Amino acid sequence: MWSLQRMLRQPLSRALALSPSRLAPLTARKFADQVQAQPDNVELFIDDKPVSVPPGTTVLQAAAQIGVEIPRFCYHERLAVAGNCRMCLVEVEKSPKPIAACAMPVMKGMRVKTNSDLTRKAREGVMEFLLVNHPLDCPICDQGGECDLQDQSMAFGSDKSRFTDIHFSGKRAVEDKDVGPLIKTIMTRCIHCTRCIRFASEVAGVDDFGTTGRGTDMQVGTYVEKMFLSELSGNIIDLCPVGALTSKPYSFAARPWETRRIDSVDVLDPLGSNIVVATRTNEVLRILPRTNEEINEEWLSDKSRFACDGLKRQRLVTPMIADSRGNLTPVEWEEAIVAAARALRDCPPNKLLAVAGELADAESLVALKDLVNRLGSENACTEQYFPLEGAGTDLRSSYVLNTKIANVEDADFVLLIGTNVRFEAPLLNARIRKAFIHKETDIASIGPKVDLTYEYIHVGDSASIVKDFATGSSSHEALKRLESAKRPVVIIGADQLKTPEGPALLAYTQELALRLQDKLADKEWKVLNVLQRTASQVAALDIGYTPGVGKYLQDGPKVVFLLGADAGVVTREALPKDCVVIYQGHHGDAGAAIADIVLPGAAYTEKRGTFVNAEGRAQQTLPAVTPPGKAREDWKIIREFQIPRFCAAWIQRLPATRLMSSVHLVGGRPMLRLPVRGAIPAFLGTPTSILSPNYVPDCHSSFATR
Amino acid sequence: MVRQNGGILGSLHKLYRQEELKDGKLVGEDSFGNKYYENPRYFYSRNRWVEYSDNFHMNYDASQVPAEWYGWLHYKTDLLPHQDPGRPKYKWMAEHTENLSGTTGQYVPYSTTRPKVEAWMPKPKTSA
Repeated sequence: MWSLQRMLRQPLSRALALSPSRLAPLTARKFADQVQAQPDNVELFIDDKPVSVPPGTTVLQAAAQIGVEIPRFCYHERLAVAGNCRMCLVEVEKSPKPIAACAMPVMKGMRVKTNSDLTRKAREGVMEFLLVNHPLDCPICDQGGECDLQDQSMAFGSDKSRFTDIHFSGKRAVEDKDVGPLIKTIMTRCIHCTRCIRFASEVAGVDDFGTTGRGTDMQVGTYVEKMFLSELSGNIIDLCPVGALTSKPYSFAARPWETRRIDSVDVLDPLGSNIVVATRTNEVLRILPRTNEEINEEWLSDKSRFACDGLKRQRLVTPMIADSRGNLTPVEWEEAIVAAARALRDCPPNKLLAVAGELADAESLVALKDLVNRLGSENACTEQYFPLEGAGTDLRSSYVLNTKIANVEDADFVLLIGTNVRFEAPLLNARIRKAFIHKETDIASIGPKVDLTYEYIHVGDSASIVKDFATGSSSHEALKRLESAKRPVVIIGADQLKTPEGPALLAYTQELALRLQDKLADKEWKVLNVLQRTASQVAALDIGYTPGVGKYLQDGPKVVFLLGADAGVVTREALPKDCVVIYQGHHGDAGAAIADIVLPGAAYTEKRGTFVNAEGRAQQTLPAVTPPGKAREDWKIIREFQIPRFCAAWIQRLPATRLMSSVHLVGGRPMLRLPVRGAIPAFLGTPTSILSPNYVPDCHSSFATR
Repeated sequence: MVRQNGGILGSLHKLYRQEELKDGKLVGEDSFGNKYYENPRYFYSRNRWVEYSDNFHMNYDASQVPAEWYGWLHYKTDLLPHQDPGRPKYKWMAEHTENLSGTTGQYVPYSTTRPKVEAWMPKPKTSA
């Protein structure tokens, strides 16, 4: 493995030296020591238009700068150049043969013709060869409609065929590979662009793919039959320009032109990757990544991509109340809300507890905290623990990724403490790997020895190492490297902090980061990073939730309001016998199983919700489908407890814009204003709040209507 | 005719139910209480009729005529059901039912497709 990584690293860093612009991210920060004397730009002519680019740029990139699109299959801007599809052949004056634009560095005074007869003939020839060896199964191919080969054969292919072997006596056919339950392979369709191979070895770091054979016998595969065991494996489906690699769960489900695409944000890992939710007939069919250079580039982890089938299973579709036997029975909204409101009303404030789960959005978090505060209680907490010793969560910088995800690739030394980044935040791991491969970044890890897809210095498994690092008493090589680093990054996993030594671990990590920070020449650079585990945690801490339920559970709460709290932190055994558990969420799991009252909420594809990712970036999901059954958007459910009854009926008639929730940043913290207050017409009399003792349930009020 | 239809009140009741008064010979009655009449003085197609049982009140309709009377009423045969020797009678023959569309007894085909969203079924806490 060691030598393999080194092998990969060498040519790529040379490739980097060749073309600095190619791998530099759009958001890369410029550092004083990084600015090198740029060599003079090279001027060349593309279709007689002059263009000036730095030396080392390829013809294809230079053409892209002036808006000339050269067709390509194998070239991908985030992967190494392969130059084997030959689709980007262009004519260059004084060159005897057409050249491959994706691999050819620019030269001074070059005259490139991207639309000449020779270029067109070359493209048609390449396309003809590709199509001779490609099955004509577009009607049953899942890539149909989003296939590069389809598009480019229409745009650049020949208008007639010389293929006469209509009996298919000798047409290429390749046996399909089995690479696991997520990716379907139809290898006959493969055009050998090797994008999947390059992705696997460069980005995913799982060097499983390769080619065997030559010419007609060339095959892309895994050599021996094995699964493509990568947490980023789904991306090769998007990368494949033809239908050779398609999504197994999505196979034969829909055509791209039938689906409605809604831009949204993923909540299944703490990074908040940007996604596109493809839906049809109120059903989420698949989830694709959306390019965001600062978070997920154009990749998406497999969990985020393939978890969408879970949105159709085990859902809470109707409000439920436990009957006299303790069995949950479906009821109407009115009944459930009134029952929950009664329980909340009759509960002494210090015996009330609200617990926010992993997938709660900021709007419902604020609404729930408002409700709890209004009832005179301060007991709003999250499931995920974070040490409250010292500054606790008072300072935002103590619980977010301060370096930012995109800047990690500029780091020259990364220290991981108690985190398996590969599974906790796969795309952050991909960033670290990118830095490792392209920028000579070195990585050290304190914690269990795990496969992070790149090689790292394993310092040890003991928490005391962090103390030695912080005090500087360690003589380990990693500490020396860390101290001499110009842009060090320390990442600590939030899961480590719930252990008994968590507070000390965090304190020493902070001390270490502070010590490193003070020595930095670049004062802008942030060293300390806390990698949260869940999508809701940063927002909840921003809003002022207390991390961890331990203290409150010992007080013996009378009413527990679980906002999607499913991690099993709150159990029936830990609660008093007469405690009323209200669960609001979208899936029936640990939380709903112990609940007395169940309020069905919306999942992240069904609501407009704000989520704050691990680096503290607030992003919004958009509703792609409607919540199933009687489920409703979460903050609207909590709002029902807060508003006087007449007012509830009254605001239904307000224009929709007045009703929209809005998150405001107050002192760096998002604050949500609910559209509740307003003058109530005098003739209606004083409205009775649902929480007041003389409230009479009225089934004609607002719950009946959505 | 009034007398045959049950006096003044009876006639008014029949007029109210059937909007028509006819005189004819009662030829039979089925198990539901529907009465079948014939009067050859009326012209063909009007000379056989049914007066639905009072149990149906105003909710009578043609599907309440059982199969055995259907043939006679529609001139498929001139033989009354009890006079017809060739009529099969088996134990397994089902009781006639009227058309139940629009009532709670109507037939509704059940879906064989899986629901798009599968709801969570809470586990019963106590064994009943």
